[in-house]
Amino acid sequence: MGGRGVNAFISFLENRFMPVAGRIAEQKHLQAVRDGIILALPLLIIGSLFLILGFLPIPGYNEFMAGVFGEKWLSKLLYPVNATFDIMAIIVSFGVAYRLAEKYKVDPLASGAISLAAFLLATPYVVKFTPEGATEAVDVGGAIPVALMGSQGLFVAMILALLSTEIYRKIIQKNIVIKLPDGVPPSVARSFVALIPAFFVILTVWLIRMIIEVTPFESVHNIVSKILASPLNALGGTLIGAIVAVILVHLLWSAGIHGAAIVGGVMGPIWLSLMDQNRIAFQAGQEPPNVITQQFFDLWIYAGGSGATLAMVILMLTIAKSEQMKSIGRVSIAPGLFNINEPVTFGMPVVMNPILIIPFILAPVVLVIVTYLAMASGLVAKPSGIAVPWTTPPIISGYLATGGKISGSILQLINFFISMAIYYPFFRMWDQQKFAEEKGDSASLSA
Amino acid sequence: MKILLCCAAGMSTSLLVTKMEKAAQERGLEAKIWAVSVDEVSRHLDEADVLLVGPQVRYKLPQFRQEAAAKGIPCELISPTDYGMVNGAKVLEQALSMMK
Repeated sequence: MGGRGVNAFISFLENRFMPVAGRIAEQKHLQAVRDGIILALPLLIIGSLFLILGFLPIPGYNEFMAGVFGEKWLSKLLYPVNATFDIMAIIVSFGVAYRLAEKYKVDPLASGAISLAAFLLATPYVVKFTPEGATEAVDVGGAIPVALMGSQGLFVAMILALLSTEIYRKIIQKNIVIKLPDGVPPSVARSFVALIPAFFVILTVWLIRMIIEVTPFESVHNIVSKILASPLNALGGTLIGAIVAVILVHLLWSAGIHGAAIVGGVMGPIWLSLMDQNRIAFQAGQEPPNVITQQFFDLWIYAGGSGATLAMVILMLTIAKSEQMKSIGRVSIAPGLFNINEPVTFGMPVVMNPILIIPFILAPVVLVIVTYLAMASGLVAKPSGIAVPWTTPPIISGYLATGGKISGSILQLINFFISMAIYYPFFRMWDQQKFAEEKGDSASLSA
Repeated sequence: MKILLCCAAGMSTSLLVTKMEKAAQERGLEAKIWAVSVDEVSRHLDEADVLLVGPQVRYKLPQFRQEAAAKGIPCELISPTDYGMVNGAKVLEQALSMMK
């Protein structure tokens, strides 16, 4: 069945695609962004726990909680949400700079602190406030705007973390530092070493802010939002954007490289922002605006791991004839329920396997389309911005991530059967091939 | 002997760790085997005798090789087949052969 075409494809993956992917994966700034964002994720998951408790879809729950804990129970319960979701830009500002500094082998702690200062320097300490009885909001000074410390400030935080750490390490590596005479304790000397580079970082960001303040954009946050964050979010939130991302992830996996880790480095901040827009709407009791978020992929597309392989693992356990497939099925089922599938990708294997790569790419693409249409049409609840960890088993995860809507679980079940149908013919073909090999092997062994 | 494994999040390799520990026990070997994510490797490297890298993060191999070599620690890619089959005995064998 077109063996030459498939082999050409495999050789394309190996010789052209992999080196490029490897270079992207190795790119220092992308790695720093990805690793820096990872610092915020555990906090988001903990915040989500409180978010779930605040909005349990049980009749009479609100009345019960208000009766026990008073009228203000919800805002009190959501304190941890304010200290996790709402400060993600602060965490990311520190984390990205820290990780980048590590890669340049300069002081990560100092870089993180300087980056945080740069981020706040770019942020006007002004909040809008509408006094009682007034119709127009007034600017109140002397307050750090919380709204810009969360997902809204994410891109500014990331950009300034990269910029400030670049300035920092360039100056350090050029050795323009204050040298102190011998005999000064090393820790004292170290605190001075950070001074000159930190000064240049602050000076640069200050100048940037001064320049932008005379333009119609008024603030660094506005300019980044208008020319970068909004267009990127719009692009990343489309069906086409999701399909392209999913194809790339699975092409990478087909070559045996962790695709989600690489594509996530680029798309992570976008999907995180979209997720948080949903969270803010959900918390305000409104309809979440976005279908595509981090959870859209983690929970509805990657059931059993990248490639939606859980359905194939079930096929291994139920209809496989080959001993090898049966044993892979037994090894794969427990990790598969928690969406980990390396035994499938490398053991079966899917990687570099001309038969199995086809459904491995096709199934997730079909699932993206089905899930997108189901959610965009309102048939199924959209992810509510609750950061359910990607290792949560399906059915449960779909319920939790939609803020307790059963439709989320039902769609996961439907997606499971769709992926099973897509994998079935290819799995049969591979299983039969393995079965034939085993019969041949045992015959030659017993001879 | 101390064997450090790594993959993207340290999760699928932790599966392998359990199997390798069992294999080591069966052979009567005293071994400390543990798995970390790629961004934690540098922090754990000093405690390890060998470093084994999961095939899905093989793009990290050149960097890890360099870091490990600077500390005199051998570093190799785990064979994809053994990795996929979660073949603890084989991977343990690989680690042992690297130390020679």
